[in-house]
Amino acid sequence: MRTHLVAVFTLTSSMALAQAAEPQQPGSSDTTTPTAESTATPAEPTADERLTNAEGKIASLEEQNVETKNDLSALKKLKISGYVQGRYQYQEPLDDTGTGGFSKFTVRRGRLKTTYTTDWAQLMLQIDAASESGVTLRDAEATLFFPGTHQLMGLTVGQMKWPFGYEGPQSSSDREMPERSRVIRAFLPDERDRGAKLFGKFLKNKINIGVGVFDGNGIFNQNSVGLDNDKEKDVIGRAGFDLKWLSGGVSGWYGHSLGRKATDTYRVAYDRNRIGLDAQLYLDVLPFGATAIKGEYINGTTYSKSAGQQKVEQLGVPASGWYGLVVQNLGLKDAVAVRYDYFDPESGRENLATPEGKPGPNNSIGTLDVALLHYFSENLKATLSYELPMTAAPGTAEDPHDNLLTFQLQARY
Amino acid sequence: MKTFFKSLVAACLLAMPLAAQAGTLTVKGSDTMVILVQRWAEDYMKKTPATKVQVTGGGSGTGLAALQNGTTDIAMSSREMKDAESEKLRTRYNTSGVEIAVAKDGVTFYVNEGNPVNALTMEQLKGIYLGDITNWKEVGGPDAPIVVYSRENSSGTYVFVKDNVLGGEDYTSSAQTLPGTAAVVNAVAKEKNGIGYGGAAYAKGIKELKIKTSGGEVAPTAENIKAGKYPLSRDLFFYLRNKPSGEVKAFIDFALSAEGQAIVTKVGYFPVK
Repeated sequence: MRTHLVAVFTLTSSMALAQAAEPQQPGSSDTTTPTAESTATPAEPTADERLTNAEGKIASLEEQNVETKNDLSALKKLKISGYVQGRYQYQEPLDDTGTGGFSKFTVRRGRLKTTYTTDWAQLMLQIDAASESGVTLRDAEATLFFPGTHQLMGLTVGQMKWPFGYEGPQSSSDREMPERSRVIRAFLPDERDRGAKLFGKFLKNKINIGVGVFDGNGIFNQNSVGLDNDKEKDVIGRAGFDLKWLSGGVSGWYGHSLGRKATDTYRVAYDRNRIGLDAQLYLDVLPFGATAIKGEYINGTTYSKSAGQQKVEQLGVPASGWYGLVVQNLGLKDAVAVRYDYFDPESGRENLATPEGKPGPNNSIGTLDVALLHYFSENLKATLSYELPMTAAPGTAEDPHDNLLTFQLQARY
Repeated sequence: MKTFFKSLVAACLLAMPLAAQAGTLTVKGSDTMVILVQRWAEDYMKKTPATKVQVTGGGSGTGLAALQNGTTDIAMSSREMKDAESEKLRTRYNTSGVEIAVAKDGVTFYVNEGNPVNALTMEQLKGIYLGDITNWKEVGGPDAPIVVYSRENSSGTYVFVKDNVLGGEDYTSSAQTLPGTAAVVNAVAKEKNGIGYGGAAYAKGIKELKIKTSGGEVAPTAENIKAGKYPLSRDLFFYLRNKPSGEVKAFIDFALSAEGQAIVTKVGYFPVK
């Protein structure tokens, strides 16, 4: 009420003032003869006075400019970015009885990232506001750039992506396919962990190395969310090269996971090892757009299976997998991507059929994924993807009907 | 059916501005290169009236950003593309871009004609631009404060000096930023205690500083720049997303032809061929 009264008073008083300030109409009865005093023009400032005034104004503007530049310089160190992936997904019923399958809208990722970079230091904090378990911490990195290296070498401590392979560290906002391939999801669940990493780029950035010590359990390991399940650390690293048209690397992981299988009396430190190879080839041969061919292979022991948001480690189980991806740009705004990935969840074991005529739980799976991409702008990307998982089904077993259609709209800033 | 035809007409009307754009070539980026590329564009359009070449400045960084977001055909840059820029291009278009050197240039430091200082070492220039040296008497000049002029941070010349003279460190906060080399030259010509930098092509009517090296004082002359003796010589680049074809290729071929390279010399730069 008080606010309204103040507003009304302000409006009426300003109207009254405006009327009072209106110029007199010529010939109106209110016109008065101007006095000598009012017609006297003020003395013109001398050239020296004008110059002094101008110099003063310039000096004042320069001071303001320096202050503004200092403020701006501090602000430029701060970068806020983020992206949202809104999705519609349809999966057909898993078998002829009509069970399973779904038709749903989801928000797959809702990321907010803050980076503050100075000459020697960097803070990076990223949260996901669209996680099943509420807002979750994705990255929390404190980085020291070694002085004199132009930020090409440094040490990062905190929660970060494992320096292993290509698709794992790649941002989900840049990936052509809605999800990472099966082999990556198994060996690098959630791609992140707590640890310390040394990184460096050498020979004009042609060689890049990242190696660190990590808890090894990732961020959603069922038996050790937020803590290490043993006192040992896993050593993880990648040595890569980048010739612009061709890049790649070799990755390694050495560690253990302490756990007890059904057959164990006491907890056992199972090997948690992986070795990986990755390569990316960029070709500019077709007139309508460039072509990228990418591939990755991982072989290791002890990987993760998803159980909802959490991951369950398959202790001591050897597994391997690979993927191949071809991306063809079509002009400036469109692209088509085809990826085939293969994952064997138990290396050396034959594929089985259950008595119910279903594939065994550890049968190998090949997945063909075809995606069409359209970039509306640098901030908005649409993806239409169709995924055909092909589970090995020996004998009378049937491959489940688990084909998946995904439409995704991604906005980023 | 009627609705379909209405939609078709609407689509055709919407497409008309796009059709009007056919035969238009856009070049964005380095302010240092604007005059040179405009001259190329003028001569090229006389030869091929069907093609329109639009040239706009804004700085090398601006041009390279436009290349990344698809709003220019060619980015002109007075510095090499950074790794981060190349990576963005690769992520979005699956190509790390095509680099073509189209001319050579020497970054020149200017002082006012009345300033007795004729040459400085790289260390002294670094000291001045980091703010460690603030009086001309520290480098053999008069007892007067040094007025430092710089380019804006979107400029390739700004980045070149930062990387090659300042060792990657930040400019002094007292440096006054000016839009374009011509503005820097103009300011130094008026300010007797000023120092600025830019391309040799703009260095008219003011004194160009020589660089003191272990081998003596080196002036930013055509011979020294071509021979690579002058420590601050650089290439001027065109960057593209993909290998040039069609009108883009024809324009670049013209720029690199004998006729195009003759224009380079006329404008005050140095030919690459």
